[in-house]
Amino acid sequence: MFSIKNAKKLALPVLSLCSAFMFSSCDSNDDSPNPVGDDSFIVSLAIQGSDNTFTYYTVPFSDIMSGTLSAKGQGIEQPGYYDFTQIDNTIYSLGGLGAVNVVGISKNEAGELKQVGNTSFTNSLSDIIKADDNTLVAVELSSNSDMVKFHKINANTVTVASTVQHPVSDLTNLKVPSYAGMSISGNQLFLSYYISDPNTYVTSHTDKAQIAVYSYPSLQFQKVIEDTRTGPIGGFNTKSGLIKDEQGNVYALSHSNPANGYSQTTKPAGITRIKNGQTEFDQTYFFDVAEATSGKTISHLKYLGNGKAFAEINTVGRSQQAAWSDGPLKSAIVDLNNKKITYINGLPEHSGNGRRLAALQDGKYVYMSIAEGSSIYVYKIDTENYTATKGAEVQANFVAGISKL
Amino acid sequence: MQQYIKIIGVVVVALIKICFANNALAQDLGKASVSGKVSSTSGEALVGVGVALKGANVGAITDADGKFLISGVIPNNYTLVISFLGFETQEKAISLKPSQNLEVNVNLHEKSFEVRGVEIIGKSATTQVNEQPYAVTAISTRELQNSTSDAKEVLNRVSGVRVLEEGGLGSNLSFTLNGFSGDQVKFFLDGIPMDNFGSSLQMSDIPVNTIERIEVYKGVVPVWLGTDALGGAVNIITNRKSNFLDASYSIGSFNTHRLSLNGAYTNPNNGYTFRGNVNYNYSDNNYKVLVPITEGNNVIDTTEVERFHDRYRSGTVKLETGWVNKRYADNLLFGVIASGNDKQVQTGATMSSVYGGITRNSQSVIPTLKYSKDNLFVDGLNVSLYTAYNFTKSEVIDTLRGVTYNWLGKANYTPGSNNGELRRTYTTIDDNDFNSQFNAGYTLSQKHSLAFNYAFSYFRREAFDTENPDRIENQFPRSLSKQVLGLAYKFDPTEKWNATFFGKAYFLNARTSKMFDFALETQRVEALEANKNNVGYGLATSYFLLPQLQLKASYEHTYRMPWATEIFGDGLFIQPNPDLGPEQSDNFNAGAAYGFELGNNHKFNLESSFIYRESKDLIYQVVKVASPETYYDNLSQTRTLGVEGSIKYLWKETLRLGGSFTFQDITDQADLVYNESYTNTGYQRNYQKGYRLPNTPYMFANANAGLTFKNALVPESVWNINYYYNFVEQYFLSWAELGSRDTKKVIPQQSSHSIELSGSFNQGKYNIALECRNLTDALLYDKYYLQKPGRAFYLKLRYVL
Repeated sequence: MFSIKNAKKLALPVLSLCSAFMFSSCDSNDDSPNPVGDDSFIVSLAIQGSDNTFTYYTVPFSDIMSGTLSAKGQGIEQPGYYDFTQIDNTIYSLGGLGAVNVVGISKNEAGELKQVGNTSFTNSLSDIIKADDNTLVAVELSSNSDMVKFHKINANTVTVASTVQHPVSDLTNLKVPSYAGMSISGNQLFLSYYISDPNTYVTSHTDKAQIAVYSYPSLQFQKVIEDTRTGPIGGFNTKSGLIKDEQGNVYALSHSNPANGYSQTTKPAGITRIKNGQTEFDQTYFFDVAEATSGKTISHLKYLGNGKAFAEINTVGRSQQAAWSDGPLKSAIVDLNNKKITYINGLPEHSGNGRRLAALQDGKYVYMSIAEGSSIYVYKIDTENYTATKGAEVQANFVAGISKL
Repeated sequence: MQQYIKIIGVVVVALIKICFANNALAQDLGKASVSGKVSSTSGEALVGVGVALKGANVGAITDADGKFLISGVIPNNYTLVISFLGFETQEKAISLKPSQNLEVNVNLHEKSFEVRGVEIIGKSATTQVNEQPYAVTAISTRELQNSTSDAKEVLNRVSGVRVLEEGGLGSNLSFTLNGFSGDQVKFFLDGIPMDNFGSSLQMSDIPVNTIERIEVYKGVVPVWLGTDALGGAVNIITNRKSNFLDASYSIGSFNTHRLSLNGAYTNPNNGYTFRGNVNYNYSDNNYKVLVPITEGNNVIDTTEVERFHDRYRSGTVKLETGWVNKRYADNLLFGVIASGNDKQVQTGATMSSVYGGITRNSQSVIPTLKYSKDNLFVDGLNVSLYTAYNFTKSEVIDTLRGVTYNWLGKANYTPGSNNGELRRTYTTIDDNDFNSQFNAGYTLSQKHSLAFNYAFSYFRREAFDTENPDRIENQFPRSLSKQVLGLAYKFDPTEKWNATFFGKAYFLNARTSKMFDFALETQRVEALEANKNNVGYGLATSYFLLPQLQLKASYEHTYRMPWATEIFGDGLFIQPNPDLGPEQSDNFNAGAAYGFELGNNHKFNLESSFIYRESKDLIYQVVKVASPETYYDNLSQTRTLGVEGSIKYLWKETLRLGGSFTFQDITDQADLVYNESYTNTGYQRNYQKGYRLPNTPYMFANANAGLTFKNALVPESVWNINYYYNFVEQYFLSWAELGSRDTKKVIPQQSSHSIELSGSFNQGKYNIALECRNLTDALLYDKYYLQKPGRAFYLKLRYVL
């Protein structure tokens, strides 16, 4: 029944099907991930897709001062929204896809990155800070919730040890407090916030700085302390409203800058202080930022040591600031004791990421990434000589974190 | 003076209309008809015999009993021509008097010569659709009528098509066609755009026995569908028989019940017709899923549990009445569709979030009007009009306070908290949608024909949230009007070759308000009006190299106009972009279809096609990291290169084997992405240029096998056993090239098997089917971490009159 004639008839369909399989075999996967043992720099790269979602890749590199930094074939993948902060030998990523969680990223014995922890929260954690060597404290303060939730987290297993919740109405009856910064000093936990309408993002209450004081470790609400010398602490999503020095003094940064989520400003920008052991603002201390910067503001602050902090300083006054721009910025070293600001040379004017400042302190150097044109470069900043060196090009849409493990 | 002239004019027109109407009425009353039965000399009723009334240009086809009816004939002397393949044609002279119903019974003689070596190619409607020059796949559901499937499952077996489900019955579906998805692919029910049926009528609500066939147009969309689809269209054709009743009920796992009643009655004398269709679907969807169990905020275990808050109910009543085969209309039908659904929401974007109280529901009422007439005024002029107005009301309810659930269904109470499970809301959305479509076709001669289409739609949405009445996004009404004009010219120089050239014009008018200076003292809202016009064009051609080997090629330069939310924003986070332009794509398809026989009993059908799509200005949501605002813009670009093929084998009428395979390489071609987090740069390099798009299946296949036995065990019975296999290669949630393999989020490779046994008795009057889906109880996912049902059984009973 099957003759040569029939075979000829079959030739065409067989050929057309073959072509289909040939096309499919073009699909090759030839990338080879090759993690190297001594990669001590860990960069969290955020990649934006044209489907407008973000994916984060936390990738180890041995050198971030030359070549290009890419996530191709390497790094821990985390789709969704993630905020990275390093505490001791672990990078904590806060956020998630669907449910929200905290995942610790650390190195195993072989020097490879591993993920630790399996948690699930109702709202994303606003921040996570160190309480002691084994304990972290994370806070949920969300416009979706009328509760402030503190979670004590085991630093080694990244699991929740206990949770304490208090009504948001402890802080204010205004709508709604938005997270600005958190710090634990002695027997107190300080939680700073600013009032921002969750529907319109209008900030109608900018006449004072406010901090909620809780006892630590019992995490009981004590009081709200206020200071009318300056405006609210912190800004939209920057999370650097409170920093703490070696003596346990807590410094609070106020800027009420339109570039970082404020619709109005009514008070001068400044840095205030709560002295170690105190639960009130130190009325003897006020760092007049406007005076030190000729009318500018500080938007991000990272404590370095010996009373010095790394700061991102706005280059124009608040009245000329474009809303929601987190920039333009210049980097500087701030001396909190002498109330002096020294700008870094060799760094281009840049914008922030509208989120936690991604910067790594390594001895006297600070590493951070800066966007120039349509590319991003790593800069190594000498905090003693106030100079900067340009490093590797980063193949990402922004850098969400730089760490060293 | 001028006013008088106007009034006189109106009166004259009215009078003329009345005269003509009376005339038509008078003629109608006096019309005659001719009916009868055609049988062979041996007395066997002949089905499908053509009976034509020469000189009146009317005719009919005999039904299953060999009977025919030609009505509405002007009294006169005629010749009745009765012709049928294999029989000698007969002519009979008849004389029709006013209001007479003449009965003519005819016996046809078999042709005396022996038919030998002549291949008779009968073409079904499905074949005719498939032979259009467009890249189209038509699936006849005739063999599936007893199946427990619905439209979604039938579509999922078409090459190039993937239906991605989030869960069980009633769960969100997304449809991808050669990589296009969402609004880029338009759905039609009997040529009527489905997007104006609202969310209460979904693909999975349409049972298979109400469907006649499904046509999938890949890339190039014919003019008569009148739409601004970017990547193709799907047209679901429902049962159009004039007299029938089809009732079915199916029951299955997860307490699933599906009821379908479907019928039509047509009075053969006056053409009055009534069609009805009732569907009801219910499922608890309490299938088992493998999920993390939380206690407090820690995940303490990952185990298999039943879904506990996923019930889905939907009902649709579709009624249509009017007249068919009248002088003034082939179809004049008034209808109403009423549908509603209600759904419990079990999970969020992944199964990590679980809800126990959130619900959604939606109700629609849609009055419709359909009119069609062939040979209107002149021979060869066919017109049709469809109009519908859709009122849809939907609700989203999340009103539990201070309660959260884990996967064990255990509630966790937070005293004093008023938080909703996700975000406390009771939102009511009112949509009003007017849609009208006019088609006209004119056959100039055998070789030249023209088709014209005009489609108009108007959409308006209002929303209110009782839990948050001040919600800004609900303060602004949103409305949009859209018009699409199409003109096609079809050229058939020979029987072997035909070509269609077409042009389409798109018009969009949007009235909206735009918010300026968001979150600043100067924040204000101003009215805006935007207009967008575009012209698309294309060509589709087909050539029969051999009588059974067809080559096809088509190309279209097409647009999709932005829809309401994209252009208006939502008044809050999504800012309006009145400058938003349409997305556009150049779609090219080339393919071949070949059918042949080996010996007498082995039939083969092969189809293969190549696709190429270059799409740009794709509408894209600009995400700003520094602020909660976002808006839509035209930016991204993709390129699709793909091949797909299908094969069918038939041995006698007993064994069927078939399969299809799709490979599509869809790559990101945008140079830039927009990122507000760098205000000085804004547009950034797209680091994925050239990479395959994530979260989109790129290689999939399916196969089926079927066996048919006739008159086994029971006389006049047909038994069918069908087996279906579905395969999807693993694909990544995000970019395949980035990150180390072991940490990547994947939608795993999946293979699923289904088997179905059905029996049909008493010439198809009584039917029973038993199906097992996901035979191996495999873990199936279409979306990242949203598990689909495991092994499930369904029983369907069907009665056809």
